[in-house]
Amino acid sequence: MDTTQSNQVNEAPFWASWIGILAIIFGIFLTAVHGTEVLSHVVYAPDTAAVHDIPIDCKEDELDEEGISLEECRLMGTTVKNVILSSPDWFRSFYIGLTTLGTIVAVFSVFIGIALVDYRSWIIKPAILTFGALLAIDVTAFLAVVNTGPLLRAMYLGDILLWALIHLIMTAALMAGYHQSENS
Amino acid sequence: MQRQEYNRTAIIMHWLLALSIFFLFISSWWMLSLPFPSEEYRYRVLPFQLHKNIGITLFFVLAILLYVRFKHRPAPITSPAMTPWMHKLALADHIILYITIFACCLSGYLSSAFSGWTTTVWWLVDLPDWGYESEELNVFFSEVHLWTAWILLALVSVHISGAVYHAFRRDGVIRRMLHL
Repeated sequence: MDTTQSNQVNEAPFWASWIGILAIIFGIFLTAVHGTEVLSHVVYAPDTAAVHDIPIDCKEDELDEEGISLEECRLMGTTVKNVILSSPDWFRSFYIGLTTLGTIVAVFSVFIGIALVDYRSWIIKPAILTFGALLAIDVTAFLAVVNTGPLLRAMYLGDILLWALIHLIMTAALMAGYHQSENS
Repeated sequence: MQRQEYNRTAIIMHWLLALSIFFLFISSWWMLSLPFPSEEYRYRVLPFQLHKNIGITLFFVLAILLYVRFKHRPAPITSPAMTPWMHKLALADHIILYITIFACCLSGYLSSAFSGWTTTVWWLVDLPDWGYESEELNVFFSEVHLWTAWILLALVSVHISGAVYHAFRRDGVIRRMLHL
């Protein structure tokens, strides 16, 4: 093995390597999830066409192009209508703000993951803070959605809970790694 | 002495590509569930414009990544953990991955060009309308775009699996794309 390369190997504790790689993968995925969430709530503006049951223009060529049936096309406004009508007044702006923050922290968590794999000893505390922040965002989103109606709860709670568990596990693992590195 | 790691620009472009590709996948599954566009239904306008903008940008990001990768090649991997078949698989995956990203971006743009919808790059510059409205070509390039996207997802999965394998083996391979 090349000397320079062998010097790089095994510098990072094993726990830092595996948490780092998971942080990168989950971070990239979460950025996409939160980013899409921001976009969807920007698009689902109140008092727009879907709420007024205006018939959707289901052109035959577009049905062919997207490979969907006429019935499916007519139903495409339903989700939009459900979200708009079942969102309390405060929900849209609050959720756009929260998911924007989530997107930023998720991007940051990718860099944290990179710094964990390419080990820097000072990264552990910022990593705990970052995953703690992501967990706090999940808990806030969970509480916000709980305070809406059954339609939004059915749509969101399962996914939010899964992310909260992932971030809880990551935070706990980082804290264990931090204590382990302090003891050694 | 030749650098072990990739060039810094290549590393930044790689992670930018990763973030963009995942965003495009997840947001496209959502945006295709939105009602068809019409005078009243405007829900698709912003997501589609954003999708096209990121796709066009991705094309140039990949071009920069490839240019930098060829100009500043890192030292070859000497780790014994990389068996010959892994080298071959990694090389094939990378080549097909790059071709697929280019094909996906290009087919998406061509589909749009023949759809009659104008593309405005980041809401600043109108791309010239060189395409004409052709349902046949629009559908054809849409199909190519769709299939290249599915192939891309499969290739990205192989790519991530390889990265995770090397990260857990801690053989120094993964660090080449992490060391800024």
